Amino acid sequence: MAVRDSPPRIWRLRDILYRIKYAKCRSCGYMFYPPRISCVRCSSRDVEVMISKGLGTLVEYTILYQVSSRFQDSAPLIIGLIRLDEGFNMYGQVVDIDPKDLRKGMRVEAVLRRLRVDGSSGLITYGLKFRPAIGVHHGRSS
Amino acid sequence: MTRRVYINAAGAIEIDRHFDKSYKALALESIRRMEKRFSAIEPEAVVVSSMSPESMGEQIGLAGVIADYLGLRRLKVFRVEMGEASGLAAIMASYSLIASGLVNRVLVIGVEKITELATSHIVRVYSMIGDSEYMGLYGISPASEASMIAKLYMARYGYSYEELFKWPITMHRNAVRNPHAQLKFMIKADAYRDSPIISEPLRLLDAYPFGDGASAVYMSSKPGDVAAEILGIGSSNDAHDAVSREDPLFFSSIRESFGEALRMAGINRDLINYLEIHDSYTPYSYIILESMGFAERGEAPKRFSPDTSSIDRVYVNLSGGLKARGHPWGATGIYQVYELFQILVGGWNPIGVDMSNGYAAAQSMNGAGAQSYIAILRRAR
Repeated sequence: MAVRDSPPRIWRLRDILYRIKYAKCRSCGYMFYPPRISCVRCSSRDVEVMISKGLGTLVEYTILYQVSSRFQDSAPLIIGLIRLDEGFNMYGQVVDIDPKDLRKGMRVEAVLRRLRVDGSSGLITYGLKFRPAIGVHHGRSS
Repeated sequence: MTRRVYINAAGAIEIDRHFDKSYKALALESIRRMEKRFSAIEPEAVVVSSMSPESMGEQIGLAGVIADYLGLRRLKVFRVEMGEASGLAAIMASYSLIASGLVNRVLVIGVEKITELATSHIVRVYSMIGDSEYMGLYGISPASEASMIAKLYMARYGYSYEELFKWPITMHRNAVRNPHAQLKFMIKADAYRDSPIISEPLRLLDAYPFGDGASAVYMSSKPGDVAAEILGIGSSNDAHDAVSREDPLFFSSIRESFGEALRMAGINRDLINYLEIHDSYTPYSYIILESMGFAERGEAPKRFSPDTSSIDRVYVNLSGGLKARGHPWGATGIYQVYELFQILVGGWNPIGVDMSNGYAAAQSMNGAGAQSYIAILRRAR
């Protein structure tokens, strides 16, 4: 099926695709991803949006075989539940590792990768995935 | 003062790969099944529940097209869409139409065609229930979220995969006795061994099957000769994904909607005899039962009795549940209400226990408890 990605949509999503913006509640301290305008725990509207350094720990993972047609070329996908060092959880794809080497508690870091290719003439979308931390962190805000 | 709301008739077709039937044909068939029991259908409003006719059938405004096809004109028409929970959301919307006095009679039709496309495309559409700027964007499918929750649940409460697998076995056994179930066959205790992994550790046998279906209920402000009454109906929502919540292993939206429905019905949980729950994936069945309070956290796999398909003296998913009855997305909640109606007033007695004078509840949700809806029914008296 020809899926046509929308250029304005992908452009608009640049803050989601290229950075990890999370929210921290100034009232109760809870942190969550993706950001909402009120706290997921206490519903306070006093939340601030911050940018994660992209370093975290793999809390849990699954190998996903029944993938959407959008990700068929990269199946199976390793989906991780990552606890970022700032103190919030998010799901993300994990790459650059053989599934048998996955370990709960391993250190991971966000890395920019090709996310999907929309046919032979459509957009190529890049986004953040996670790879085993190699000990050297590049860039200021992942 | 709101008015009382009754279900006067209900019908459903077998969930299956209905390659030969369109949305219109499925809807018509469900109404024909209903009319076998009830001929005087004169709705003032038609409410259609369907999750994704845009993606599956390239149809916008499905409710208008179906109402016209059925010859139902000069009345009020709506479509309700709340993802997988669309069916019970449609029941709630229809309840409100009648309780408020805006109309007296509503025809609710749940209809979905899922098997129009290849599996990977079905997964693409189903993945749209997640936030498209997060889960959808990164390929985090509902099955992968369910698998993550399964692993967290097993690790926290110390269960093996095999211990949780008694749920699908029980659901398949129940479905054999349900004429409209999609998977009417038993599976053995070790059937998972030959079942393909969809997202490790969950296998195909831990997930609902893809199938097409339609179910209809006729609701009104009058009980007539025989009817089920909607005594209570509740709904609540939560953070859309499970892991941004404080605890991904307890679905607060379910606890809140059940509490609301019980208060409205004026009963406590102990009076419920029969329950249909949204077991889209094995781990959710246990978390739902715990979130409704039928077991302590982490206890549902121990408390659920496969022999009687019950927990805490409540019979659960005698239909086979989403797991084996099937889960035609937007139609599922209407199937659940149809099953409650059949148990209460339709003479359906699959296990030889008469529950026609008891209280029955249907629970539906979108994703991992992102939004929940619960209705409590009893035979009208």
